[in-house]
Amino acid sequence: MIYMNEVSKVYSNGSVALAEVTVDIHKGEFVFVVGTSGAGKSTFIKLLLREELPTRGRLVVNGRNVIEMLPKDVPYLRRSLGVVFQDYRLLPNKTVYDNVAFAMQVVEAPRREMQKRVHNVLDLVGLRHKVRTYPSELSGGEQQRVAIARAIVNNPVIVIADEPTGNLDPDTSWEIMKVFDTINKAGTTIIMATHDKTVVDAMRKRVIAIEKGRIVRDQVKGVYGYED
Amino acid sequence: MKIRTFEYFVREAVSSLRRNSLMGIASVSTVAVSLLILGMFLVMVLNLNHIASTLETQVQITVYMEDGLSDRDMREIGTRITKLPGVTEVMFIDKDEAMVKFKDRLGEQQGLLTALGDTNPLPNSFEVKVDKPEYVKPASQAIGQLKGVENAKYGQEVIEKLFALTKMIRIFGLILIVFLALAALFIISNTIRITVFARRREIGIMKYVGATDWFIRLPFMIEGMILGFSGALCAVLILSQTYSTLTEKVYESLAFLPLIPKSPFLTHISIVLLVVGTAIGALGSSISLKRFMKV
Ligand SMILES: Nc1ncnc2c1ncn2[C@@H]1O[C@H](COP(=O)(O)OP(=O)(O)O)[C@@H](O)[C@H]1O
Ligand SMILES: [Mg+2]
Repeated sequence: MIYMNEVSKVYSNGSVALAEVTVDIHKGEFVFVVGTSGAGKSTFIKLLLREELPTRGRLVVNGRNVIEMLPKDVPYLRRSLGVVFQDYRLLPNKTVYDNVAFAMQVVEAPRREMQKRVHNVLDLVGLRHKVRTYPSELSGGEQQRVAIARAIVNNPVIVIADEPTGNLDPDTSWEIMKVFDTINKAGTTIIMATHDKTVVDAMRKRVIAIEKGRIVRDQVKGVYGYED
Repeated sequence: MKIRTFEYFVREAVSSLRRNSLMGIASVSTVAVSLLILGMFLVMVLNLNHIASTLETQVQITVYMEDGLSDRDMREIGTRITKLPGVTEVMFIDKDEAMVKFKDRLGEQQGLLTALGDTNPLPNSFEVKVDKPEYVKPASQAIGQLKGVENAKYGQEVIEKLFALTKMIRIFGLILIVFLALAALFIISNTIRITVFARRREIGIMKYVGATDWFIRLPFMIEGMILGFSGALCAVLILSQTYSTLTEKVYESLAFLPLIPKSPFLTHISIVLLVVGTAIGALGSSISLKRFMKV
């Protein structure tokens, strides 16, 4: 599913965000990538999305060689990935329904499928009753659920999330984690960068800990392991 | 491309134009002014060329006679002209006949002549045609030497001046047009840049969910093309109206001036301007997309 071999990322300003990272992630896994701020978690995520290119190493995502990939193939890699951010990134002038449907429109999904599919994923995140609402009328947790619905609406193989609970209180974070767990139980691989100790410790999933760009721990049913 | 996708593109382009209407108006006006000037130069250069070539095929020597010659003298001069090399036709026009022709040409403005009373200031003359343009100069020189001839004129000088003028206008126009096209390009690419900026969140999301590059770009290209086309349309409407009025006026009062008839000339000019305008729009947006929308 994801195969990373001795991958390093050095930004153009010289800062080393990742150093010789080697990881294997299999289909259906739920993986936390943890570490303090500046450790390299977001860079790890960006490499998977091919938002950034590795400086060295080998990287295969969903059977596609990310490094040798042509720019015109990048959209097709991203269609197999769903992505969720800390700041939700919803379009304020579109309704909940349109925000989710937008992801299907821009990949030219058939219209007949669209309505049904959007309603299904909104059901799954528990927001079926809010289809006509605008993001500004929703709580942070609800907005993040819309973002999750948008991430999964095109049936991605992997869902990637960068600090999805970073702006949410513990109770709401827990609700969001339950949504991710449901998605994972349906067979979708989940990779989540976070420094939310409570969440990681409660979930007991695989934990990859990064410090200064290096993997310092890779633990099945792990815990957060830092005090911060 | 699916029809639905195309609908989506046009809808996006139009709604973005509506949101950003002030810049849109500025772009359309700049394109309109640029293309109007381009169109005016095209019309002017083509017409001057047309006039010059029409006159060239009509080159003839007009020979003005001194006053008070006898009929015999004049017939004598006519015979001599006929014998010059290259001369194919010699036509005598007496001064009364010349007056009638002149009045005809003036048309409704004949009133101007009443000031002259009964006197006729026009001389007797010959109109001489030659079979090739290169005979014009030697023949007119030879005729000028004949006794009883006041002078012999031909239109060549005018024609040469016309061609020179056309050339000058063409060069000057080209510089001006390049300059204006750059201005139009600049303002369109700026307008599109503002739209791209206003929609950067949307573009970001589109990239994350896997929209292809052309899918992201096309609405902006269409927006630029709509701006360019609208500007061109304004220019075309103004130019067509002006040229129609102009040809009518010229036809009424200066009928001898051979302007190019408006049909199909205006259609051709319009097509050129619309194509150029749309192309400027497309180019303008692709410049700004290249600079502001890295994948
Ligand atoms: N675009 C960038 N250009 C230069 N340096 C960057 C860039 N993005 C991140 N970095 C640097 O790379 C390191 C890792 O950053 P990041 O991956 O964002 O860490 P995290 O998400 O764990 O906080 C940091 O030192 C950061 O300053
Ligand atoms: Mg980060």
